[in-house]
Amino acid sequence: MSESGQDNQLRLGFLETIEIDGRGRIGGLLVTNHSGRPLEFQCTTPVRPNRTQEILFGESLKPWLLGELIGGTLLNRVSIKPGVVITSDPLLLELRNHTAIPVALAEDEGGADAHQTDSATFSTDTEPNSDDRPVRVGNSLLRFHSGHQADAQSLKSRQHLIPDSADLKEPLERVREALAETVRTVFSR
Amino acid sequence: MTISSSFDNEKPEHNPEPVTIDTFSLLEEVSSPQLVQTGFNPALSRIPTPQTVSVPLDLQVDCVPQWKPRRIPLKCIGLTLPDGMEFVPEQQPKLETSDGVQLKKISPPSPKAAGDSGEQKQKPTRIRPPADALSLQDRLFYLLQPPLESWLAGQELIMPFEPFSYQYEGIAWLFSSQAALLADEMGLGKTMQTITAVRLLLRSGQVRRILLVCPKPLIPNWQREFRTWAEELPVVTVEGNGSRRRMLWQMPGVPILIANYELVTRDLSEMPEDDQPRFDLVVLDEAQRIKNRDSNTAKVARAISRRRSWALTGTPIENRPEELGALFEFMEVVPPRGCPDMRQLSRLADRYILRRTKDLVMKDMPPRIDRDADLPLTDAQTAAYRIAEKEGVIQLNELGDSISVRHVFELVLRLKQICNYDPLTGESAKLERLAADMEEIAASGGKAILFSQWTKTIDWLEPRLKQFNPLVYHGGVPVKKREPILQKFKEDPDAHILLMSYGTGAVGLNLQFAGYVFLFDRWWNPAIEDQAINRAHRIGVRNPVIVTRFISTSTIEERIDRVLREKRELFEAVLGDGDGDGNRSLSLNASEIFGLFDLKARSQDGSRSIGPKCEEQDAA
Repeated sequence: MSESGQDNQLRLGFLETIEIDGRGRIGGLLVTNHSGRPLEFQCTTPVRPNRTQEILFGESLKPWLLGELIGGTLLNRVSIKPGVVITSDPLLLELRNHTAIPVALAEDEGGADAHQTDSATFSTDTEPNSDDRPVRVGNSLLRFHSGHQADAQSLKSRQHLIPDSADLKEPLERVREALAETVRTVFSR
Repeated sequence: MTISSSFDNEKPEHNPEPVTIDTFSLLEEVSSPQLVQTGFNPALSRIPTPQTVSVPLDLQVDCVPQWKPRRIPLKCIGLTLPDGMEFVPEQQPKLETSDGVQLKKISPPSPKAAGDSGEQKQKPTRIRPPADALSLQDRLFYLLQPPLESWLAGQELIMPFEPFSYQYEGIAWLFSSQAALLADEMGLGKTMQTITAVRLLLRSGQVRRILLVCPKPLIPNWQREFRTWAEELPVVTVEGNGSRRRMLWQMPGVPILIANYELVTRDLSEMPEDDQPRFDLVVLDEAQRIKNRDSNTAKVARAISRRRSWALTGTPIENRPEELGALFEFMEVVPPRGCPDMRQLSRLADRYILRRTKDLVMKDMPPRIDRDADLPLTDAQTAAYRIAEKEGVIQLNELGDSISVRHVFELVLRLKQICNYDPLTGESAKLERLAADMEEIAASGGKAILFSQWTKTIDWLEPRLKQFNPLVYHGGVPVKKREPILQKFKEDPDAHILLMSYGTGAVGLNLQFAGYVFLFDRWWNPAIEDQAINRAHRIGVRNPVIVTRFISTSTIEERIDRVLREKRELFEAVLGDGDGDGNRSLSLNASEIFGLFDLKARSQDGSRSIGPKCEEQDAA
């Protein structure tokens, strides 16, 4: 975990995006310590693909936009690199194809159904393998990119650094609120 | 095009001379039946043998349309959060503190258990940015903090008890407030909420140096509460001689200083400006101490260099609503000498005051049962009372227009003392009733607190209640001896009654193991009475608290009681909807004290009412 500092620490990254009416999408990445205390936050300006990009990228537009463009930019930008990036959007798993840092999808206990619904909308490149068992970290289930299943094993070895009581979906809510606040404060002017 | 050809091997049959052939005409003739024999046909029938030659591929494509997606420009807005104070690493949970307080680490309820019971998951307490936080960075700082429940449970912050949900709200509110007046009703845990908010501010790097100012008798209480709720925080109390105190004021690396009002006033007013300590946060406990904005205490408190200002009091309005103005001035939310009117006060209260009452937040708390004991005076008391009242009123009437509130006040006090007991015979209807009640309480192993306005009454009562092992706690008891008295009252099963004065015992003490409170006489201000009662009726109380107010019938006590009841309504009005008469006082003012008697001066046409004509003064 050279990127994220000492071996006995695990920085967590929480990545979310929200849609702004008519202005595109913005993303935010919150880096916290192992127990959720915030260390750094970065968010993007709104990004909206043009018509040419929509036609040319087709179905792969959203994974590219969210994963590579927004996720990649944010991950490059943060000075405190997380040991794992957690998101609730399956499309953001695409980020894993552009970084060496594991990217995980946080699911609810009964999240299988929701996952199936989501998976219908994103490209097969980013679709998690339904046979892959999620990893329980804290009180959340984490599912990893199907092309990078070693990530699960990697996280398991550092799982003990995260408290059992940790709710890994809660910081995502903070990111969404921070993005909404940013939109209200900056981009709505 | 012409082709010349000669074939050496073949002899021409019909035309031996070389011929010139027009190729197109030849082709026409070949396909026709009248084929002209030219010697060309054998060449046509021969199988060609193609030869391959390697030609290098030209990779440079001169003209191919190409499109590269334009990189969408993307900028970032960033926020790096400040480093917090390093706390001691998490250790194995300790079983007990030095106080013997059992500690446990808060753990969240297991999802399974919650599901089984069908209870709704408690909504986490989020920290909201204060209204005056304008910059995006400031607002994001608060929004990005974890919910208090997980913050307190998930880190190396050991909490002895799980806070109530309203306490979480109070902590979150304090955490995000630059200026705050926490005015929870007594007993709801203002101390704990403050300590925890301070702890989190230190943890998140928002503050590094804090000054807590409280009345001197409450310093041991704060020390104890800090040990209980934030054992890892180094707390230093400013005490000792002048040079030691100067050293303590300047000592670096001390996150929390506790000092009493008197020392703060004395030390800081004498200190040169360059030496004045600076704080990130100043907390005034029992902040009504600065209600008089012209007092030295208030001036010194306002002059302390600080970034955040918090005030704690269960009675933000003791006398007049304008007292809030003094607190708001300390909090720097009104300009110096600013006197907000009732509407402004109400608006400021909405924004800067957090007040919860037990009725609202502690629905499960055992109730406080108030009962008025209307007691007729004994014969000896009645006789003494009538004489004193008659003579007193006559004397007052004779004073005419030179009468002052002090003259009336003296009569009131004399009459109230007679209501407590007859100084000549020692008869006391209240004592008889108290003794009867205490028999019952002691028999059941209960404990009671008795409040009186006078230390003299307390000292008079002590020998008369010997069978209940009374303990005395008032201003005449040296400070060092006070804590052991409270400890004895708590631990000694035979000590059934604690006799306290309103002035000393009304604030900051936790006596929730006492199930009975007696108000032997009435204080001038219902807020002070409430503070006294809430020593017993506070968080942690397991049984209902029975409050008995002794009121001597047909005496001045009945009239005072009536006025005090009206005062309560004003208190609620200001902190509620904020409507009412801004000049009214919660204490008895001069008019009201005069109104206790029908005072008349002789005049040419009979008599006329007398009383104060202009400025009204508070009696207490």
